[in-house]
Amino acid sequence: MEFLNLLLILITALLVLRKPERERAAFRVLVVSTVLMIFLFTLATRSGILPGLNY
Amino acid sequence: MVPGVRSPSADRDTVFTITALAVLFLTVVAVGIAVFYLGFVRGDSPCVMCWEQRIGMLLISLVGLFVLRYGPKPKYVGMAVLIAAWGMLMGLRHVGMHGARDIGQGFSLEIMGAHTYTWALFTYWVCVLAMGALLLLVRPNQLNAGVRTLTTLERVAGCAFVVVVAANVVQAFASTGPPPFMGQSDPIRFSFNPKYWHWSAEEWKPPIKLAFRGRWAVDKPDLAQAIADPAKGPIASLTSLVVKERLHIGVTLDSPPTDFAYDAATSRFLVTTATGVYLTDSTLSKLDRYTIVDAGYSVDLGRFAGVAFLDKGELIAVGENKSYVVLKPNDKANADSNFRYFLASRDKFDEVSRLRFGTVRARMLYIMSAAYDPASSSVYTVTVPNNVAKRMVVSRFDRKDLTLSAEFVPTLAKESGLTLGKDRSLGEYMVTGATVVAGQLYAVSASFGTLLTLDLTTHRVVSAHVIPGLTKPVGLAARGDDLYVVSEDGTVNVVARPTKPAVEITLNATNKH
Repeated sequence: MEFLNLLLILITALLVLRKPERERAAFRVLVVSTVLMIFLFTLATRSGILPGLNY
Repeated sequence: MVPGVRSPSADRDTVFTITALAVLFLTVVAVGIAVFYLGFVRGDSPCVMCWEQRIGMLLISLVGLFVLRYGPKPKYVGMAVLIAAWGMLMGLRHVGMHGARDIGQGFSLEIMGAHTYTWALFTYWVCVLAMGALLLLVRPNQLNAGVRTLTTLERVAGCAFVVVVAANVVQAFASTGPPPFMGQSDPIRFSFNPKYWHWSAEEWKPPIKLAFRGRWAVDKPDLAQAIADPAKGPIASLTSLVVKERLHIGVTLDSPPTDFAYDAATSRFLVTTATGVYLTDSTLSKLDRYTIVDAGYSVDLGRFAGVAFLDKGELIAVGENKSYVVLKPNDKANADSNFRYFLASRDKFDEVSRLRFGTVRARMLYIMSAAYDPASSSVYTVTVPNNVAKRMVVSRFDRKDLTLSAEFVPTLAKESGLTLGKDRSLGEYMVTGATVVAGQLYAVSASFGTLLTLDLTTHRVVSAHVIPGLTKPVGLAARGDDLYVVSEDGTVNVVARPTKPAVEITLNATNKH
């Protein structure tokens, strides 16, 4: 899944650098990529989302 | 030039120059070193959490490219702040797993004295600082500046970003594989040779159940949870002790008692409440002195759960969280200088020390008892079960430095004739009072109203007895040949102290030859 997310990031960067008129599309992919990162981290730490420390 | 695109010179601005440098730094130094040097040269593979932290940094850099191209629009700056905030949580979560380990221990590679996840937390923190500083430099006319033409420096930053992300794509394909495979908790060393690639979908496996604190969500001990009925206990067919006498604590306490102890040398009882320490006479009816400890000053003492007389006229009160305070009665104590330590009766005690017991096997378990053994100059504590783990651990702390000296998980002595029920364990006992006499640790359990006798040499439970009619016991004291068991309502049951079983004595005598 990290491979997919990094591909999305690469595509977004190329849109911004090579096709700047596709701003809206690039931003949408950025949002998708961010949500995917949050989802994957949450999935990996689902048994204890908060840091394992004394509060 | 693209129609509507402004000239580079007009856009050569401090904000964009700093942004380009920040993108370069974050991309090349933070992520570039991780992928090219740590990954391709040293073979380091990020774990699943490291991957997401690395991706978060790339996303912040990517937002930097948006700013370079379209200006510092609020939605881009907002996005960067959101990602950095999440990144700090990710970094803290990861540091939380390893940050409190012993010196030098950690997960995977160390760079300049810190492990990679620590650098991730630091990097996100710097990102937030940098974004705050950049916002101070933004002018209103830059907010909707249209599509900018990139300067040479900005193009270099863009190219560097593409190269570093492409390298990460390669590493991610080798290390984590195509979807649905994803990062792993314990990734194996990176290699360009497909023979060594290991793709895993382990993280997708059920249960997909969310928990905020996980194994750290340990409930504090609650007497109300104790099952009083001895017949439901883990050890079957126990004999009962005879209650010789029933007393009541006659002095007025600020709240229910939480433990007590007896000192034969001075014929005094010591009683604790949640934060109170009371010294009484031998009849529990006359108060000698008391104090209310400020449990929130410096070391959080929580709620007192155990108390014992030490040597040198000192006494120790231990909180459920294994934090302790050592006190010494003093008729000439200075009430003014003791203001910081005590909430009431500040001129009767001095505070000698206040710290925390560190444990290994007993870690993540609360305690509800403490005992002192003069023979070995040791303080003992016994853990109680909780919603996460049911394990009885006896910890011994040396009097000299009150540091952990030994721990054991008691088992049943074969010679005792006691047997555990199927799938039952000693960890179910909720030991709320303990005392040591002649190498035996006597422990009373609020669960199943049982008195356990543990041999401190063999680490075995050598006998167990029911104390009839026991309700919410909170403390245990030895006086002569008797044991005094105090309950939460102040009732004290007196029973004859079980003596060491003859078979044990014979066994020990045999071992000496």
